[in-house]
Amino acid sequence: MLNLGLMKIRLVSASDLFFLLSADAPFIPLPTGRQAQDGVFRCDLNKFAEGGKMRKAEIGVALCLMLIGFLILADAIRLGFGWGMSGPKAGFFPFYMALGVVICAFIVLFNGIQKFKKEGPGKRLIREGGLKPVLWVLLPSTFMVIVTGLVGLHVAALLFLVFYMRVIGKINWAIVIPVSVIVPLSIYILFEKVFLIPLPSGLFGDKLMPF
Amino acid sequence: MIDIITNLFMGFAVAFQPTNLLMAVIGLGLGIIVGVLPGLGGANGVAILIPVTLVLSPTAGIILLSGVYWGALYGGSITSILFNIPGEPWSVATTFDGYPMAKSGKPGKALVLSFLSHGAGGMLGTILLTFFAPPIAAFALRFGPAETFAVMVLTFSAFVGLGGKSALKTLIAIFLGFILAAVGLDIVSGQLRMTFGSVNLMGGFNFIVAVIGLFGLGEIFLTVEEGLKMEGIKATLGLKDIVEGAKEIRRNMKALTMGSVIGCWMGLKPGGATPASFMAYGFAKQAARNKEEFGKGASAGIIAPESAAQGAGTSATLPMITLGIPGSPTMAVIMGGLMIFGLQPGPMLFKDHPDFVWGLIASIWIGTVFGLIMVLMFAPLFAAILRIRFSILMPIIIYVCAIGAYAVNNRVIDIYYMIMFGVVGYFFKKLDYPIAPMVLALVLGDLAESAMRQALIMGHGNPLILFRPPIALPLMIAAILIFFWPTISSWKQKLSAKKAA
Repeated sequence: MLNLGLMKIRLVSASDLFFLLSADAPFIPLPTGRQAQDGVFRCDLNKFAEGGKMRKAEIGVALCLMLIGFLILADAIRLGFGWGMSGPKAGFFPFYMALGVVICAFIVLFNGIQKFKKEGPGKRLIREGGLKPVLWVLLPSTFMVIVTGLVGLHVAALLFLVFYMRVIGKINWAIVIPVSVIVPLSIYILFEKVFLIPLPSGLFGDKLMPF
Repeated sequence: MIDIITNLFMGFAVAFQPTNLLMAVIGLGLGIIVGVLPGLGGANGVAILIPVTLVLSPTAGIILLSGVYWGALYGGSITSILFNIPGEPWSVATTFDGYPMAKSGKPGKALVLSFLSHGAGGMLGTILLTFFAPPIAAFALRFGPAETFAVMVLTFSAFVGLGGKSALKTLIAIFLGFILAAVGLDIVSGQLRMTFGSVNLMGGFNFIVAVIGLFGLGEIFLTVEEGLKMEGIKATLGLKDIVEGAKEIRRNMKALTMGSVIGCWMGLKPGGATPASFMAYGFAKQAARNKEEFGKGASAGIIAPESAAQGAGTSATLPMITLGIPGSPTMAVIMGGLMIFGLQPGPMLFKDHPDFVWGLIASIWIGTVFGLIMVLMFAPLFAAILRIRFSILMPIIIYVCAIGAYAVNNRVIDIYYMIMFGVVGYFFKKLDYPIAPMVLALVLGDLAESAMRQALIMGHGNPLILFRPPIALPLMIAAILIFFWPTISSWKQKLSAKKAA
């Protein structure tokens, strides 16, 4: 029997633990993650996503790939792609690979433009309202990596877990706190103490996790 | 023959050592979990674990990694049957009949059918591996650099010709993979390539980081965009279900053999498991008397694709271990792990490290059997993981992915690369660029490049050496035929249509 303020939870087995964390646990009156994702920030993202149509993205990605191909070509030419003192020079292999990328990407680009002219921009690249949840994963996880440089991966992950579960998932604090403490702590013990694999501790991480 | 059996017994002696056995069981358990979770597949499950296995002996490490693979093969079917969400690409075909059967009140039977057919397909693949790997490896000992390069060309042309995606986009993915592999220090000339003056790029791109980003994060982005609905069917597995399932399997022996054979055959080629499962489904449907039952919960519709998927997964070990050509992205990652251990997959492995090779083969036998027992016993428990809300699971998955990416080289920049690869993977999936050949090219990049360079040096710069008989020439011809297979088959269709008219 766990007593967490108003809630009384009886733990019988492992599957009950799963049930506790599950979507249909009855004692969580908060809205589910999916409903909550709406209305978090509704501003211009939808309009932005609407502009991103399949064929436009096809053309854009092909252009990017061509650009990368040209960059590699330039470097391969700098290194030399011919026959050197002892066999092919360092740029030989990348040169032909990049040439392949440029040619293939050009054909993809050409086909894409042809199709765009004939059939219009095509269907949406990202499902309606789909960009928001994607950014809500991408941005916090990028932020986690930035914070890692300061406080170490485990503390950064703790913040990330709390943020995502609470702010985006709208999950009850009673679950957020134990999960976001136990998971980094057990991973910390498993990696740094059992396997002896050091993980990034950042500038201040050693002081935050002194044991 | 006698040799093989004595070697196999030696392998079992290795695999039954307590540590190795424990690793197999841990690997299988983790693999099933990884297979069940969306966003974590076999490939990046293995990738994340590679740094951990470095503290183990090579044999124990590789047994753990391959255990994850077999486990993921089993785990993928649990989600496709109970949740209608394919945990792995090769279990898509299982959702066609597995989910309807589970929905109609027989989830236990559907699970048992899938697990038993997995076991059967895996067995056939393992038998194939045990008896064909030694002769193929012996043959491959005659390969020089030109032949090695030809085998790689064959591998990648199989992706283009048989992969079913746009040939141009597949080519772009392959070229990009090779370019990424070449970034950093060139060992032959000592020059820095494609670093553009950046210190971070000097270390190059590690395939593990790429795999975790492309398969892990990319998949997570797709999942959150689609708004995952986890409405699963609760299942229990009793002895009665197992008996009923076994009887049903006996009634559908034709589908089982068909699936296993197709799977093992397709697994030898790269990218095999997914097309194998679809092919087996199609063949089983054509051959069945009760065609109208397919899609509504036909037993054969579960048995055929599942046995094919596991057969393909297991037989993919054969080209990896004998030729150094991984048959699937997961195999590519396992092979990368081998190389980190300092073991070069290929024919020499049989000569230099027989205890390792046979230990691995024996552990595949054990893994197939143990995996079957584990899923039969604990499938409902593993399925319960998916009842945890995705907003709890997802940040933990990303956290674990970040650890995996960091631990490869102990560089924080790799976590940034992981996120970058995640975005790339997301757009590639959206625009239908295949990811598997890119990962394979990234893993094989250095090998392919050095093979080509050595061959060209041997031929004094004459590229014709890449086509030298007796071995490289037929391989190259086969590669060209497979590359143009879509064109050839459409010509054939036109010709036969003309004749008919």
